[in-house]
Amino acid sequence: MKPKVPAPPAAAERELMKIPGAEPSSRIDSWWGLVLGIIALTILLVVLSPDPYRRIVLFVRDGIAITLTLTVSSFFLVLFVGLFGGLGRISKNKALRGITTLYVELVRGIPLLVQLLYWYYAFPSIVHSLGAALNLPVLQNYRANAVAMAVLGMTFCYGAYMTEIYRAGIQSIPKGQLEAARSLGMSYVQAMRHVVLPQAIRVILPPVGNEFISLLKDSSLASVVAVTELTRRGREFMSATYMPIETWTMVGLLYLIMTLFSSRIVAWSERRMQFER
Amino acid sequence: MEPIIQIHEVHKHFGRDIHALRGVSLDVQKGEVVVVIGPSGSGKSTLLRCINRLEEYDQGSIVVDGIPLDTAANINAVRAEVGMVFQSFNLFAHLSVLSNVMLAQRVVRHRDPAEARRVAMDLLAKVGIPEKAEAYPAQLSGGQQQRVAIARALAMNPKIMLFDEPTSALDPEMIKEVLDVMLALAHEGMTMLVVSHEMGFARAAAHRAIFMDGGLIVEESTPEKLFSSPSHERTKLFLSKVLM
Repeated sequence: MKPKVPAPPAAAERELMKIPGAEPSSRIDSWWGLVLGIIALTILLVVLSPDPYRRIVLFVRDGIAITLTLTVSSFFLVLFVGLFGGLGRISKNKALRGITTLYVELVRGIPLLVQLLYWYYAFPSIVHSLGAALNLPVLQNYRANAVAMAVLGMTFCYGAYMTEIYRAGIQSIPKGQLEAARSLGMSYVQAMRHVVLPQAIRVILPPVGNEFISLLKDSSLASVVAVTELTRRGREFMSATYMPIETWTMVGLLYLIMTLFSSRIVAWSERRMQFER
Repeated sequence: MEPIIQIHEVHKHFGRDIHALRGVSLDVQKGEVVVVIGPSGSGKSTLLRCINRLEEYDQGSIVVDGIPLDTAANINAVRAEVGMVFQSFNLFAHLSVLSNVMLAQRVVRHRDPAEARRVAMDLLAKVGIPEKAEAYPAQLSGGQQQRVAIARALAMNPKIMLFDEPTSALDPEMIKEVLDVMLALAHEGMTMLVVSHEMGFARAAAHRAIFMDGGLIVEESTPEKLFSSPSHERTKLFLSKVLM
């Protein structure tokens, strides 16, 4: 069997030229224009019509901070859960493989909103009952922190998706790479760290970046479980002023700025990875 | 002197249906070059892969350099002494040629960067491509990649080198450059176990040739004798197909 080897950079570059949206080299591709356009539109609204747009932005400001905190901290944790989950899914150890597979199958089958509700409402109740049963005041007095529960819930859910991304990425690296590393005397961990994962990262970078963007959007679900993030603040503003069009236009624009900006960063790092051969 | 590789009655199954090795015994002396031939599916690659435990065998025993594999506390230590060259090269695609040859020296042998680099450059000179040190595997021809793979294995200072069909994935004009490196290695006294149908190499370098079929060693003798006057029908039949 011939090994799958990537084409030399020159040829790969030429190939990329043909795919729209994948033109190499320039750090600033034409899609940055869209990001700038949306930002310009937002600023225009705020400047030309400060009431209500400027008021909305000022009102939801702290919500944006919480949305970003929620997303970034969950994403960071998800990267670790996914790595260990992915390694578990391909492990030779049957128990480990069984547990991780079960985790993925169960979590993927339950809507994120239901999971968030579970973590916020059901989980503390379970802790309380447990505290009563074991007579432990620490558990009985447990108060769930809304943001922490949302981070936990999103990490738990997205960790399952990320597990599958890592698994697919690791499995896409030809088996001979691991065998060659092992035949040189490297341990499994060394072979993974120095040979397989550095190659898998290139493969999984685009889907991982997309997960970040999905996570950012899905963080709006946390508004249902008492987290005052962007969407929640938008609802509060709408209830107070009854200006649905203006409110949700501005909230939508703010989400767009964050997601489009993120997707440009992903596209840029993807290209960088390809050139570092 | 005790053989450096002692294989005794080794059996290997793949799943329920495939009995890849059916009781293979083979001793290889230090400094000996042994060539293994046989039809595909005869178990020759599996046998090779059992020697550094890339495949686990089900029964029997293998002792490498005095260490029994099934009780080896640290299989990585055994593997570091047994170099392996693969049919599909398996160079680390994300690393330069130099880094390919340096990585295991650094990680397994804990050599400092300067020493690892010196060893790597010496070996790249030896296999004839020092000028490709900074190139990436994808930029090399198959023959060049395989020579780097040999250098990478040699960098660990192995006592034994295993070659699993090292020239089968190569275009004809590149086979010689790889065989020349192997020939030089054989003349230096390296212990080599080579799965290959390169009769020229076997005649020039091998002390012994082995014919395997159906998971068993059918016949073994000197390369000259095995190729020109095989005693078993199966060997004759196989050679008549290969030597046309």
